[in-house]
Amino acid sequence: MAGGANPQMAQPAMNPYTAAAGAQGAAMGRVGQGLTQTAAGGMGAYQNPYETQVVQQSLRDVGTQAQMGLNQLDAQAQQARAFGGSRHGIATGEALKGYNQQMADTAARMRQQGFQTALGASQADLNRQLGAAGQLAGMGQQSFGYGQAIQQQQMQQGQQQRQMMQDLINAGKQQYAGYTGAPQQGLATFLGAMSGVPNLQGQQQGYNAGFLDYLMAAGQFA
Amino acid sequence: MSGGGGSSTTKSTVPKFLETGYQQGIGMGRDLSAMPYTPFYGPDVASMSPLEQASFQGTDVMASAFGMPTSGGQQYLPAPTQFEGGAMGYSSAPIFEQAVSELETRRPAQADYYNSFFIDPMTGEMGSRTIEKQPVALEMQGGGRRGK
Repeated sequence: MAGGANPQMAQPAMNPYTAAAGAQGAAMGRVGQGLTQTAAGGMGAYQNPYETQVVQQSLRDVGTQAQMGLNQLDAQAQQARAFGGSRHGIATGEALKGYNQQMADTAARMRQQGFQTALGASQADLNRQLGAAGQLAGMGQQSFGYGQAIQQQQMQQGQQQRQMMQDLINAGKQQYAGYTGAPQQGLATFLGAMSGVPNLQGQQQGYNAGFLDYLMAAGQFA
Repeated sequence: MSGGGGSSTTKSTVPKFLETGYQQGIGMGRDLSAMPYTPFYGPDVASMSPLEQASFQGTDVMASAFGMPTSGGQQYLPAPTQFEGGAMGYSSAPIFEQAVSELETRRPAQADYYNSFFIDPMTGEMGSRTIEKQPVALEMQGGGRRGK
């Protein structure tokens, strides 16, 4: 792989929502399965296939040691000229009882150990799988978040662009409104110029004298 | 001085400077009323900056990397115009002119009627319905003159 690009990286990724849904579904499935699952189902995989052989071998070892012990007991009885006697029989019986007990204990201990090992491993598997399912669910959530973040940014930028377009359209509409309102505006301009005319004016009063006025005036001087 | 057969008169008077001003104001109002709408051909909306454009491209790249739909490099906004002084933006003048042209196409009579109130913006010829050419049915009382 040295020097070569990872072909996986060049591939377009699964979209985050699909990934999230997949992860979510897988996690839910695994967690749901775990509701009723016990470690017993997985123990078989951890049973030592050679356990019986190992136990048998151990029992044979114990048997060999027992035989050696009995031989030694027999020898001791012969030296004491008690071989075949009641005391010899009792001693042999006790020895055999001890060896049998040892064999039973050995077999039980080994099988218990095998059981505990398989149980622990199976439980560890379950815990690991459930932990992975939880992690998968978290990654799915993260993936969903990526998708939403991208979508939100697209929406935000899209709205920004649309707003610009709307501003441009509004500016055009504003111009058109000015255009259509121009006649009224022109009339208002003219009427505005007219409206100030009669307000500032003065009055000049006069009197045109009549014939009698002149006669009366002449009488005053007569 | 009354009762001798004479007559009293009252005349409204306006100082000369005011009368001059009124006449000039009315004349200017008359001329201005024939002025059609003056469009603005400069920029109305600033264009996106290069950094904003880069941000849009970055969003496309990001979305593409995650397999999401992108703009595909399509430009929603038209190409901006560079105005005098380097300002980059968009003018609403084309939108306005298209709207006016559409009006002339769809409602030619109304457009002609509209235009008759103003001077021809290309030739300066006075429209047929400017205030200058409005009919005056009544003569001004008090000896006013008709028209200018």
